[in-house]
Amino acid sequence: MSALLKKDWFGLGLVLIFGSILISLFKPAFISPFNLYVLMLSVSLMLVVAMSQMIIIAIGQMNLSVGAIGGLVAISFTGLMEVYSMSIFPAVLIGLLIGLACGFINGYITVKTGISAFIITLATLYIFKGMNLGITEAQPFYEIPEAVKFFGNAKIFGPIPYLVIIPIIITVLMWILMNRTSLGRYMLAYGNNVQSSELIGISSTKIVIYAHVISGLLAAIGGMLVVCRLQLGTPNIGDSWLLPSFAAPVIGGAILAGGKVDVIATAFGVILVSIISQALVIFKIDPFFVQIFLGFMILLAVFINRYREYREERRTKVFSDE
Amino acid sequence: MNNKIPNFVKTNQFGLLILVIVFICIFSFSTDGFTSRFNIYALSRVVALDIMIGLAMMVVILTGGLNLSLGALGVSAAMFGGWCMESMGIPISITIILVLAFGSFLGWINGFVTVRTGVHSFIVTLATMSIYFGFMTLLTEAEAFRKLPEAFTDFGSLKLFNKYISPLLIISVLTCFVLYYIFKYTDIGRKLIAAGANPDAAELSGISVDRMFIYCHMLSGFLAALAGIMLTARIGAAIPSMAGHLGFDWLLPAFLAPVLGGTLLSGGKVTVFGTMLGAILVTLINNGLYLIDVGEFWVRFFLGIILLGAVLLDRAREYFTVKNSIVS
Repeated sequence: MSALLKKDWFGLGLVLIFGSILISLFKPAFISPFNLYVLMLSVSLMLVVAMSQMIIIAIGQMNLSVGAIGGLVAISFTGLMEVYSMSIFPAVLIGLLIGLACGFINGYITVKTGISAFIITLATLYIFKGMNLGITEAQPFYEIPEAVKFFGNAKIFGPIPYLVIIPIIITVLMWILMNRTSLGRYMLAYGNNVQSSELIGISSTKIVIYAHVISGLLAAIGGMLVVCRLQLGTPNIGDSWLLPSFAAPVIGGAILAGGKVDVIATAFGVILVSIISQALVIFKIDPFFVQIFLGFMILLAVFINRYREYREERRTKVFSDE
Repeated sequence: MNNKIPNFVKTNQFGLLILVIVFICIFSFSTDGFTSRFNIYALSRVVALDIMIGLAMMVVILTGGLNLSLGALGVSAAMFGGWCMESMGIPISITIILVLAFGSFLGWINGFVTVRTGVHSFIVTLATMSIYFGFMTLLTEAEAFRKLPEAFTDFGSLKLFNKYISPLLIISVLTCFVLYYIFKYTDIGRKLIAAGANPDAAELSGISVDRMFIYCHMLSGFLAALAGIMLTARIGAAIPSMAGHLGFDWLLPAFLAPVLGGTLLSGGKVTVFGTMLGAILVTLINNGLYLIDVGEFWVRFFLGIILLGAVLLDRAREYFTVKNSIVS
């Protein structure tokens, strides 16, 4: 039990449960099937985006180009199907390849030059977004195959949409990667301390490139899922991903200096953000408040994490005095 | 004296100066209208703002941090100024003082939270960015202030020096000199740099690093608010979307100018005139790309490539200077 209490996701889980009960007591519409359906859709999309950022946070870097990769893949995916009348499967494959290539570029340049990933991904953000706008000239693609539209909007049963399948698989895979594979543990070691991880024989090049490639792939999947959901490929897909992509991992207790991320807590962070956004809509609060709220949530999470660290430090100090 | 010349040649600023001259030559020979009075005047209005934004980012980079809320902060301050002048009828001079104080206050919030939580300023300013911008949109209901006093908007469209230069550019250049003086010759300026360069050493030598970091964020807020006022004067109205969604349009010039100018992202080094040259280069390239007619949608792509190229070049320059110094 006490081990459970120490987990990052435990407190968040409690907040989620009590928060949901409280909201549904005030507004029963909150647990209506339609609302749950909308909630699950937004959670599904943001989950993938948050994981894409989380893996870069794990190695102690940042990826500003997550949204730009998602947008570029989204318009390539729809463009291939509309302009070149390609079938769905090869279009998805090329979309993934583009995401992989973008991630590889980010990782390769970062690790080979030693320049901070922040600057590199800021530059590639403009490059990918510029390609997106250059190709589309800011015009959306509307011709989407029926199967794609179906996947984005149909329900398996009850309020559960098909769209949740892929994000759930990704979350499970990410959990396995971060907790049960040597690659994931190496990433955390690298994020924790670059020098010592190199001294024990971990290849920086490999770790950084792998992390960025996975991030690129996840951003690509996120972009294509948004296409399924919206039933069109607009060039501005991904523009609003930056804040939520950092919000969820940070609320989930990730340390931005690297070396510590929690997949379950990140997922809970995504759900929490979605529930709050949803609740604000149900209570008919101005949508601009959602943004302000998200900002305050990040600050609050930052303060709580700081407080927990502080308490931890004090406890260890007391023991060492004895 | 003789030793000083090669030293200057080795610096980043010199490389930038050469690049600026090269680009001016390229654009004036290859395009019509680059050297026209209208284009130079337009350039001077744009470059004035880019310099100011670059400086606002530079003073936070000095601490080894970043200020993502720059655009949101600047626009919020500008909207506050618009409200003061239009709705409250406060005179221009007092409004400007209020706006600058307001900008410094928002910067203080950034600095205070960063210092108190010990979290990287990236995440703090990411949060405050959406808070500032959200509040601003909420309070203004996304409506612009268009009936500003004429004396204020006239200043923005004033033409000096045979109608070549905007007075906004003079404000920016003056700001550069003031900042240069502060960082070079004043006690507080040296303390700011020391705190950024090596916080532990600075702390041990009796400098309150936390306070210095908060000052840097306040200065950044001050400069961003000044940029906001200048943009308002230039457009002739205070518009919530004038720096794009969440103020993102300001971010690329904000990072490009100091990074091109040779400011270290790890903190502890400022190059005021490098930032100025960086801003000039960015504006030149931006303007030139439009004149060459690469298509407005590709401009962003090329700016990204240029940022990447610039940091790679800088890296190479560093590498070779280190190599040379080892050999000699």
